[in-house]
Amino acid sequence: MLIPLSWLKDYVDIRLPLKNLMWKMTEAGLTCETTKKAGDEIILDVEVTANRPDWMSILGVAREVAAIQGLKIKEPKIKNLPPQTANFPIDLETNFNLFERWTGIVIKGVEIKPSPKWLQNRIISMGHTPINNIIDITNYVMYELGIPMHAFDYDEIYGQIMTLKLSKGGEKFTSVDNLDYVLPENAIIINDAERLIDLAGIKGGLNSGIKPETKNIFLHVTIDNAILIRRASIKLGLRSDASAIYERGPDKGGTVESIKRAANLILEVAGGEIASKLIDLKKEKYEPQSLFLSFTKLEKILGIKIPETETVQILKRLNLSPKKTKTGINCIIPTYRGDVKIEEDLVEEVARLYGYNKFPMTMPQGVVSDRKIPYYFDDSQILNIKNFLISCGYSETKNLSLISKGLIGKLEMDTAKHFRIENPISLDYEYLRTSLIPSLVSAIKINPGEDLKLFEIDKVYLKTGKGACEKYKAAGVCLGGNFRNFKTAIELILSKLNIENYSIDFETNKPYLHQSHSGTIKLGEIIIGEFGELNPSVLAAMEITNKVYCFEMDIEILEKLSKFKLFASIPINPSQIEDLTLSFPPKTRIGDVINLIKSINRLISDIELKDVYKDNYTFRIEYQDPKRTLTNDEVENIRKEILASVKTRFGATVKV
Amino acid sequence: MQEELINLKNEAIAQISGAKDGAELEELRAAYLGRNGKFTLLVKKIKDVPIESRKTFGITLNESKVAIENLISDKKQEILKSLTEKREWFDLSMPGYKSNLGHLHPLTQALSEVKKIFNYLGYQVADGPEIESDYYNFEALNTPKDHPARDAQMTFYVDTTGTSLKEGEVVLRTQTSAMQGRVMEKMKPPFRVLAPGRNFRYEQVDASHGFEFWQVEGFVVDENIHLTDLFGTINYVLRQLFGEETKIRFATTNFPFVEPGVDAYLQCTICKGKGCSFCKGTGWSEIMPAGMIHPNVLKMAKIDPNKWNGFAFAIGLSRIVNLRYQINDLRTLTTPDMRILSQF
Repeated sequence: MLIPLSWLKDYVDIRLPLKNLMWKMTEAGLTCETTKKAGDEIILDVEVTANRPDWMSILGVAREVAAIQGLKIKEPKIKNLPPQTANFPIDLETNFNLFERWTGIVIKGVEIKPSPKWLQNRIISMGHTPINNIIDITNYVMYELGIPMHAFDYDEIYGQIMTLKLSKGGEKFTSVDNLDYVLPENAIIINDAERLIDLAGIKGGLNSGIKPETKNIFLHVTIDNAILIRRASIKLGLRSDASAIYERGPDKGGTVESIKRAANLILEVAGGEIASKLIDLKKEKYEPQSLFLSFTKLEKILGIKIPETETVQILKRLNLSPKKTKTGINCIIPTYRGDVKIEEDLVEEVARLYGYNKFPMTMPQGVVSDRKIPYYFDDSQILNIKNFLISCGYSETKNLSLISKGLIGKLEMDTAKHFRIENPISLDYEYLRTSLIPSLVSAIKINPGEDLKLFEIDKVYLKTGKGACEKYKAAGVCLGGNFRNFKTAIELILSKLNIENYSIDFETNKPYLHQSHSGTIKLGEIIIGEFGELNPSVLAAMEITNKVYCFEMDIEILEKLSKFKLFASIPINPSQIEDLTLSFPPKTRIGDVINLIKSINRLISDIELKDVYKDNYTFRIEYQDPKRTLTNDEVENIRKEILASVKTRFGATVKV
Repeated sequence: MQEELINLKNEAIAQISGAKDGAELEELRAAYLGRNGKFTLLVKKIKDVPIESRKTFGITLNESKVAIENLISDKKQEILKSLTEKREWFDLSMPGYKSNLGHLHPLTQALSEVKKIFNYLGYQVADGPEIESDYYNFEALNTPKDHPARDAQMTFYVDTTGTSLKEGEVVLRTQTSAMQGRVMEKMKPPFRVLAPGRNFRYEQVDASHGFEFWQVEGFVVDENIHLTDLFGTINYVLRQLFGEETKIRFATTNFPFVEPGVDAYLQCTICKGKGCSFCKGTGWSEIMPAGMIHPNVLKMAKIDPNKWNGFAFAIGLSRIVNLRYQINDLRTLTTPDMRILSQF
């Protein structure tokens, strides 16, 4: 909302330096951080929160500025209207479900012409172009008092009848600024005897608008159903100064005064005479309400005791007519302060004018609960895993959760299994990811070079019949190095979490993984994750030329399977270490060989694959008895056991 | 024999005197005085020496051994001394090998720090859904449908086709405040909760807007919580995050789920209040919207607002990272470019 300083000064003196005043306004909730200059005029730019329709007017802002400075407001003097000289009929059909108040008057014999200079300047300072004296006055009064109004060409209201009703949808409407719209369902419209003449609360119609030859006008204010107006204006993409006021809920008590204000100005600027009674249809009486603020509540919420006299002073400055009682203060809330509904609202009024920055600062007293809260979340294991990955050279990324259909397609995944956004910002961000891999693969594209290790740990969003299932996953991509380099990180995570006895299935159901160079990590039937090379067709689709390894593991399962490991005391006696080179027939699973050897004898304390040359595999085996030193004969016997087992199970032969 | 002994002694003296380091010295000691050393062997040969010269031989042998031992010991000291005093040029500017550690994302680092601060104050961390119902995201926060405050949080709606979710009622959460209703309806106060996470708003992407961003929601409900406690908590937290010199100021604002509403401003850490592009020239950065929890929010979660009250606040995590590292484009945080990531 723009506030020209000279206009503001019509209603309130400005005693504080402008910079101080702007901060004081901001502190009080009327955010005012910037000004601009238009000629000699300084214009304040204020941000009006959704609860304050009154601040959508110069007078409303003036009231706040007066309260801040402790000054009196100079309300515009609104004279009574001159006597009616004619009786032009106008029939307003009521439906109190659609509106709450409808106030209007007919003026005859006006002369449509450009506005006088002072009026034009005010319209220009609000960032608009002056149109003619009548329209400029309706806008002027809206900016001044915060109540939108509209002027019709009286002679264009066929049958002198106006009916307020809901649109059916599909009606064609041409607005007063000559734009065509097709109306949505349930917009509030006004019809005359024959046609649609107004889109209530949003825009007037071209057919009934003020034209250069207009002689007689009907001036009105409708306070309509705010929700219906909001919905229609969103659907039409038609947001105006008026709709911004309407959806905040304008002052239902101020319609008569605003019509009088506008009518007086019209008589003064455009001539004419009053040609009807002042019509005022209203659902209820809209009168100031009383609201009580107890001292106990005030102190309980604020944490300090503001002296009672100061509290009364503040409420007085805000025009809330405070009357002190023994236990609190009775206030009368003016109709333009529809936002003050409950006691807490009055607490805020006192606090904000007292000044938030005058409050002392304390820390909460009370109980630190020892009960676990619902949705309790401990991310220490996630942080551990992040650090394991970092130690393996992976860098952490944070990618967007929304991805494109195109990317899902390139990864050969099924779009139907992804949640779609009804109103995406663009097609690049239309689906919620079900895997962290696609974004990581895309990241390869923006990092040139042969070596890259990236990971992410975050949520994926799975679509199930019941609804949404959000799961934390850890995923990585790895470029450069060979399979064993790549697998280090996966094994490190599993071993650091003390997950033992997991197995590798030589297949996966992940379409983006290589048909034969990828697999599933399992413990029993529990799937921990998948890993392997990206499918060459995915690489082709993504235009990536290097071989890419990737993995994705389920965090919740890793956490569940993770075990606490007890300390094993250091053996006193030395171990025996030897290298054993075995050769295997093709397609032997070396991982299984290692598992087998480990399980042969409890005296085998460690085994490591040291070297691979063609089909020869060198294992370093450590023998250790915690209680004593093993003799050469004992080691020899275990070795024989190993050789026999690998021969029977895998057809291995010893290489000498 | 006597002559042999003299020769051996001379040989030993010559070799030991010429030794270059401790290891060579040890070798020589073993060669002459060790279990199979040359002098040790001579001792064994003493019976071959004629009786009449055996005594003289024995004395000479012992004297020689002692002399050689002393010589070794002196030589050892000499070598050690020369090593200690050695001044030779050594290039300390030679680089080490490049570490191949990866990098932790700044959002992770900032969040860990925020959590640490709040854990100290007795807050527990909660994690909730990002695909959220309209109810928890808005209605439970005193923001019914068609409330104009919803405009400030343009919302993504989730297509519920193929699920049993209700159409038009499922959104991507626009605020971590959605966790308020979820926690409150499941637990009786008192509690102190911290709920970090990703949020989504329908906003066109530019340097200062993204449609995905990170927030940390915090809220406390207890029997006697005051506005001064909220001011104190914000003050404590921002000082912990940005240093004791940090300047903070508070202003009134309005969110439907708080009353009174508070906005906390941090003096711009980049221009120190002079005004720059980070703070849009104002010298201050809006950093922590907050307020006393609206009684309607408590009532909806079946908590008696006459007995309990509390405060709530939200910290823009992305904003904190940007202010700390002076990053002027929000998109930097979600760009997986090693030239960015390797800086952290």
